[in-house]
Amino acid sequence: MDTITSCHITEIFRLIALRLSEARVELGALDGAIGDADHGNSMAEGFAAVVRATSATSNASPAELFMLAARSFHSAVGATTGPLYASAMMAAGVDLEGKAALDATDVVRLVPSFARGIAQRGKAQAGDKTMMDAWGPAARAAVEALNMCLPAQQCMARAEAAAREGCESTRAMVASVGRAARLGPRSLGHVDPGAASAAIIIAALQEWLARQDDARAEGAG
Amino acid sequence: MLPEQTSRSAEKDEARMPMRFGEDPLLWASWLYYEEGLTQGTIAEQMGVSRPTVNAYLAEARARGIVTVEIVPEKFSSLSIARALRDRFGLQDCLIIPTEGVDRPLIPRLGEAAARVLTRTMRSGDTLAVTWGRTVLSLADQIGPLNLKDLRVVQATGGTTARIPWTPEACASGLAKAIGANAIPISAPAIVSSPEIRAMLMQEAVLAEQLTILGEANKIVMGISSLRPESTIHTSGFLEGAMQQMHYQGAVGSLVGRFISPRGEPVIGPMHDRTIGLSLEQLRQIPQRIAIAGGIDKVPAILAALRGGYISVLVTDLATGRGVLAAEGHQESPRRTLVQSDTPLLRRTEVKKLINDPKDAVDEALQGALAAHEDLIEPVPGSPRAVRATMGPSQGKVAIVIGGGAGHEPAFWGYVGPGLADAAVIGNVFASPPPDPIIAATRAVEGGAGVLYIYGNFTGDVMNFDMAAETLEAEGIEIRSIITTDDIASAPIEMQSRRRGVAGNVFTFKIAGAAAARRLPLDACEALARHANARTYTMGLALEPCSLPETRRPSFELGPNDMEIGVGVHGEPGVERRGLDKADACADLLLDRILAELPCTAGDEVAIMVNSLGSTPNYELYIVLRRVRQRMKARGLKVHRSLVGGYYTSLDMVGLSLSVLHLDPELKVLLDYPCRSPALTISA
Repeated sequence: MDTITSCHITEIFRLIALRLSEARVELGALDGAIGDADHGNSMAEGFAAVVRATSATSNASPAELFMLAARSFHSAVGATTGPLYASAMMAAGVDLEGKAALDATDVVRLVPSFARGIAQRGKAQAGDKTMMDAWGPAARAAVEALNMCLPAQQCMARAEAAAREGCESTRAMVASVGRAARLGPRSLGHVDPGAASAAIIIAALQEWLARQDDARAEGAG
Repeated sequence: MLPEQTSRSAEKDEARMPMRFGEDPLLWASWLYYEEGLTQGTIAEQMGVSRPTVNAYLAEARARGIVTVEIVPEKFSSLSIARALRDRFGLQDCLIIPTEGVDRPLIPRLGEAAARVLTRTMRSGDTLAVTWGRTVLSLADQIGPLNLKDLRVVQATGGTTARIPWTPEACASGLAKAIGANAIPISAPAIVSSPEIRAMLMQEAVLAEQLTILGEANKIVMGISSLRPESTIHTSGFLEGAMQQMHYQGAVGSLVGRFISPRGEPVIGPMHDRTIGLSLEQLRQIPQRIAIAGGIDKVPAILAALRGGYISVLVTDLATGRGVLAAEGHQESPRRTLVQSDTPLLRRTEVKKLINDPKDAVDEALQGALAAHEDLIEPVPGSPRAVRATMGPSQGKVAIVIGGGAGHEPAFWGYVGPGLADAAVIGNVFASPPPDPIIAATRAVEGGAGVLYIYGNFTGDVMNFDMAAETLEAEGIEIRSIITTDDIASAPIEMQSRRRGVAGNVFTFKIAGAAAARRLPLDACEALARHANARTYTMGLALEPCSLPETRRPSFELGPNDMEIGVGVHGEPGVERRGLDKADACADLLLDRILAELPCTAGDEVAIMVNSLGSTPNYELYIVLRRVRQRMKARGLKVHRSLVGGYYTSLDMVGLSLSVLHLDPELKVLLDYPCRSPALTISA
């Protein structure tokens, strides 16, 4: 894999924004079942703002780019997702401090970085029926795979599978924090929209990495 | 002759159908059978037909829906949920008990139900393994002698030294004694300090023999532990802080001291090789595996155990059983009825809205509001979502900054003006504003005497206002936050701090605004605002959901004859769904809940607000107000002020909320203090 520079990072944000935008209605419907139906739009608008901000800058280091992404997401979204994803991207920025370029495993490491930022800000526990129920398992799967020195692609695939499964497992959970908490047992049977959008973001990261590999294979061919 | 004729015609009349049955022999037969309790033979005589005909009439009456026979809903639900669980997870049997007990809490009732199941299933010569826990101990306490021969009860795991009454030792010995069985303990701790020690212990003849007996168990009765923070497993000594370890974060439940994932797969961690007792694989080999577990917090754990095939007989309660099925995606089939339920009156499609690009809706609406009320409010320069009073900052006055999502118009800009808030910050639809405009608004109105933030209790608002406050406090601006919690439907009274803040906010804005206008210091303004919030009670109901500008879809589904009780102001569903009722009944429903919490005595004064959630017209609000005033009068409460209208809306939701502020002399003075703002003006 060639090195990943700041303009690639903007590309990653663009892909995430695209996938979230496609899922707007679906996420809104999930949210409508247990919340106020705005989650799909918030996420799509938030990442659209990130793309606008990051593509308008040049010469920013990856760390600076993530800090900028955090601020622009937060300003565009507010709400609960604003502070949470801002913290996620700031955590990634901190972890990338001093790096001029990334490699593929750094992209995988975005998952545990994001998860850490969200956990610190939101303080949700596993099983609370929040986005952490996707980010947590994904981060653990990513770290475990990285520790086994698997190729970045495989690490990301494991993270993605864990996120998807974690998201599905929220169906069996009763929300205990956030707006859905007021619904109590009525939240059972519904997938948490925050976990669903988390799974989409992680899938987009995987998709982007896979494309790089394909492109390289073509280039080599 | 005459008398004879009369008597003959009377006799004939008796065989003729009384008019009230409208020439319907089915109805007549049904009445005599079900209401008068006559036998079919007597009915045949009375109707002048044969007994088989009566029988056919009665069958036909049921088929045509003249007579309906139904099992009471609670029992019906229990049976249908039990059957669905059995079918879905291939159980041998399933027993569902009511969730709400008439006399006793859930655990002893589950124990009693399990005792009944066990009494019926045990046979002479059985070896029954038993786990630990409150429910299992309760079972042991309630089961009687079984009069069976050669029973053995064996501990399913090693023991624990935890100071709990429901240890494995206590459960196994208690149950053995109660049913007259031979008790076989496991003479080792459930969790030992290392795999090596476990290996050594397993060599010990006594333990080896006990474990062999455990391996011979043909039945097991077990509890299921949730791993949620509130679970008693955390105090049992079984976990040793294992939940902090990464290996177990993927686990959602525990049974026989082992951990399982949401799919029911074993979660193997460092404790695995240190655990003495039944393995999950061994558990699955036991022919009859009776699980007793109830409580909504256990749903993920029970579901995981069912998916993993560890259970063959489940004893649980209705809410939990229903929760497990809901989590599995099962749709509860409606009761079979003869009459088809009403089809929705109108198919829901896109809701019509007077907007341009939905993305611009919030800004355009705000621009319009600023234009309409330019004498009172203006934008904060450089921060279009922040609005301040045209009078500008006042030196030495506490500044009040309020805010929240858009969609609640006239909140929040409607409460900015003299005697009310100094600034308001608006987020996206139903979403908290981010810190930047909050910071800009605060700086624009701060007058050196400190700032009071007032906003509803929602996770997003709390995070964003707190982040703004942190930034500003570092600059030396003193900020206090009042997080309003007036919505009594959103959490029980003992969890008041978790309640959300809704329309009653307006009262808190008013009291705080008056306190600040009277130049009271920050401490006093804060205390009065808290006092007002603590004495404000709101409850709402919706007849139709609202729809967001982006989606143009109803934010939740509400049937044509339903209403949603306890809705919030963000289109989120409420706490309960009920059949639609009339205005007075709705008013009573809301008021009764409020009065149940309001610590008032006759002669007390209150202010009330009947607030439209968006689409309910004023004339309906006045119908409700009228009823509320009647009830207040009957209760001996004096209504000092009534506000009626759309004060705090939820886009186009159809419905209303009722807020009551329990006044005292101080609050009354502040409520009457003059104010002027786009949405609330009180003259001197």
